[in-house]
Amino acid sequence: MKIVVIGAGFTGMQLARELVAEKNDVVLIERDPEKVRHASDQLDCTVLEADGSNLESLEDAGLSSADALVTLTEDDELNMITCSLVDAVYPHIAKIARVRNYAYYLAADAARRRTKSARPDARPLYGIDTMLNPDVEAASAIVSAIEHGAVGNVIELGGGFGIAMLSVGVGSPLVGLTLREIASLEGWRYLVAFIDNGTDIALPNGDTKIMCGDSIGIVTPKSSIPDLLAFTKTPSGEFKRVVLFGADRVGTLLLATREARRAASPWRKLLGLVPKVPEREIVVVDMDASRCREIVERFPGVRALCGDVTDESLLAEEDLFASDLLVASSGNYELNLVTAAYMKSRGVKKVVALTANSSYGEIARKLGVDVAVPMRGSVVDAIMGHLRGRHVTSVHSVCNRRFEIVEGEIPPESKATCQSLRELSERNPGGPLVLLHRPPDEDVWCVPRGSTVLGTGSRVVLITRSGDVKSVARFFGRE
Amino acid sequence: MLFSVLRILTYVLGIVGTSMLLPVAVAIREGEMSAVPAFLGPIVAGWAAAFTFWLKARGRPKDFDVRHAFGVVGGIWMAICLFGAMPLYFSGAFPSIVDAIFESVSGFTTTGASVCQDVESLPACINLWRCETHWLGGLGVIALAVALIPLLGVGGFRLIKAETTGPDKEKLTILISNTAKTLWAIYVAFTVAQTLILWKLGLSFTDALSHTFSTIGTGGFSTRNASVGAFGIPEVEWTCTAFMLVASVNFAIYYRIITGRLLEVRRDSELKTFVLIVVVAVLAVTAIQFNGLEALGDTFRASSFQVASILSTTGFMTQDYQTWRPAAQAVLLALFLIGGCSGSTAGGVKVVRWTVLAKQLRNELKRMLHPHEVFTLTLNGTPGREVIVPVVASFVFVYALLVLVTTFAGALAGLDVFTALTAALSMVGNIGPAFGSLGPTASFSEIAAPLKLYYAFAMLAGRLEIYTLLILAGRVFMPHRAQSGAERA
Repeated sequence: MKIVVIGAGFTGMQLARELVAEKNDVVLIERDPEKVRHASDQLDCTVLEADGSNLESLEDAGLSSADALVTLTEDDELNMITCSLVDAVYPHIAKIARVRNYAYYLAADAARRRTKSARPDARPLYGIDTMLNPDVEAASAIVSAIEHGAVGNVIELGGGFGIAMLSVGVGSPLVGLTLREIASLEGWRYLVAFIDNGTDIALPNGDTKIMCGDSIGIVTPKSSIPDLLAFTKTPSGEFKRVVLFGADRVGTLLLATREARRAASPWRKLLGLVPKVPEREIVVVDMDASRCREIVERFPGVRALCGDVTDESLLAEEDLFASDLLVASSGNYELNLVTAAYMKSRGVKKVVALTANSSYGEIARKLGVDVAVPMRGSVVDAIMGHLRGRHVTSVHSVCNRRFEIVEGEIPPESKATCQSLRELSERNPGGPLVLLHRPPDEDVWCVPRGSTVLGTGSRVVLITRSGDVKSVARFFGRE
Repeated sequence: MLFSVLRILTYVLGIVGTSMLLPVAVAIREGEMSAVPAFLGPIVAGWAAAFTFWLKARGRPKDFDVRHAFGVVGGIWMAICLFGAMPLYFSGAFPSIVDAIFESVSGFTTTGASVCQDVESLPACINLWRCETHWLGGLGVIALAVALIPLLGVGGFRLIKAETTGPDKEKLTILISNTAKTLWAIYVAFTVAQTLILWKLGLSFTDALSHTFSTIGTGGFSTRNASVGAFGIPEVEWTCTAFMLVASVNFAIYYRIITGRLLEVRRDSELKTFVLIVVVAVLAVTAIQFNGLEALGDTFRASSFQVASILSTTGFMTQDYQTWRPAAQAVLLALFLIGGCSGSTAGGVKVVRWTVLAKQLRNELKRMLHPHEVFTLTLNGTPGREVIVPVVASFVFVYALLVLVTTFAGALAGLDVFTALTAALSMVGNIGPAFGSLGPTASFSEIAAPLKLYYAFAMLAGRLEIYTLLILAGRVFMPHRAQSGAERA
């Protein structure tokens, strides 16, 4: 596939690297000569110094033969206009734009849904096929992790299922057991999707042993996560006093999510349509006085402290060490990690940190940070998901991008139909593992057995080694 | 500029003159023909002035220099007070011109302090006129003029703002004339309602109308020496209690209720505080005055009436509160400091200002415990209203300063300090009665003539919330500095 990426910032570089690793033809366009030099040193792809919003320079870069365009510049408006411009001339090219301004994102999203229901054949707004907002994705990942006790990341899958990522501690009953042994334990109703011990890159099988210090991903209905935590003796608790460090975009989104639930009508709350808000006290710490003021004005009941989170006297003065949960969601990702680790060591029960990318996951775990939510990984995931073909609806990378969790629909041309999953895995050892499937014309997702046969039109969630494009293509076909 | 000001002034005088037809009708019905010329003079003068300017004004722009709004409003109010004093003086009811001016100012500013020892001996038409001045001054004569005739062009909202009370004035409707019309319609509706109720309860029509004017305007003049207590009808007292409280609530609240903006009403910080103050004060006074279970009903009625009367800055009475237990008097004295709501006909510091200061105090206390925390001041459900704090604080400072100066003036004229202090609170807060030798049963006739004039100034300053008159005084006495100040602003 040929992909044009505009903007060689952090995400652009990461995306280009992964695309190149999968043997795609990548053209990276960047205006800043310094960044161009850096990118061409690092990457095995074409890097052009040009203006991304200029159609002619895009055509010089070979846009006319491209399959996809990804706009990742710092400027939201430029990203949107570039897509719109390209859409006018090349409507067949898939366009993916990053839009950071939450108001744009919301408005565009609402407009898109309305035009879609009114005129299904209409072009998407600005010609953007996929609009990405990394802040929204990071915020919802944090919310979902907190909702389930902040014991680890929770990846949301379809049908009320999720993958809970747990650290296996010394007291866990799973230590030293193989997966086959675990499956026979009484009360165990879950599926281990992957095991991350920092070194292995193979998917687990029945003989894989779980060791102390491993991080494991477990497929479970989200409603059973409390049972799972009780089973694995993972400590969790209610968060009555929550400290939020950093009130930038992600922090504000977190508060807005909580406010929407708090302000929901009492009837909806009574019917259980809206999750409860257990936090009694939320304290926001931010250096910027005007941001603190905005928070206090927008979210009644939230306290805002204007100060430096590394200021020991501030932390002691407000007794922040006695909190139940710290969410470090500032734009300074390194400081987030340091703060979270420090607060954890001073007695805060659970800490969640927003980090720059998923490669920090390992560091975070070693530092004692309960949950590290990667900021930019989600963008690359979404783009990779899009590039996997039209039958794939989403891709999540886990374990420092060693594994991918792929969700999609089995098309007629799939090579995975007409045989049981056991036969499939025997034919391709170490290949993708089907975690969940939903037969066509049914509403219920379930964990498949070895004898399950996938039919055309089933939806499946599977886990695969990253870069194993061929195996995934066996399931979902390739355009 | 002068032309625009004079035009507004003459129109207002024409309207006030027209309103004098009501006492004339009463005079004719009661056979008090000797008092009729005293009214006819001002009526004709007012009409003549207004007509002249109406003739000359046709086709001329209504533009108005907004910088002069405060000065113009102050000037118009002084002129109206003098104009309203004319019938009182010419009819012979108030032989001294100073007394007539004091009485008129006390009327238009809705204070209700009288220099007449025996109001029952006054002609019925004069008594009605005294009460009617409360009604005219209550919601504001300029607002009335704007409601009746399309008077103001650009910048006219400034004039109404300078006349209405409170730190935070808003337009309810897009057009100021519509705002004024709506508020006056509500005002008239309350007046009609109370008049009918009092009439139904057995008062003569003139008495019912007079007391309604006094109640709705939160003034306090009565046609009886013993005020509302003279009737001895509990239902009349309850009616007056209710309407005094109604009139001391921001009239914008009623507009919102009518238009169904109930959420804004429920969020109104001032209304909440006002209700709280009323409930606490009534319960406190009733408890202090508790005189056995069988008298509880009477105690409760008298307490409610007096609390409503002082808090609304009306100044009616059913009992002489100076004979009450000292603690109950102390509660009433506290109410002297509070006053009604902004945008009502009541005077005083206004509940909203104390609400703002209380909220600020709470923030300051919290700031001592949490020096790094950021606080906001939420008023009427809107956060981020810290900007209003200095405005309110400086008003309260000027108010306190004026009370102190007025106390000094009273003491200088020979009053004892407590009387002078409470009289100062009463004058600046437009209440009426005070404590000591100027208590509810006494009249202001005994005080020295210069003090009467000074008190007239204090009442006017209190009604126009001080700034208006301060700016006017600055213009008169320091024209150069005031001018440059206005330019800087």
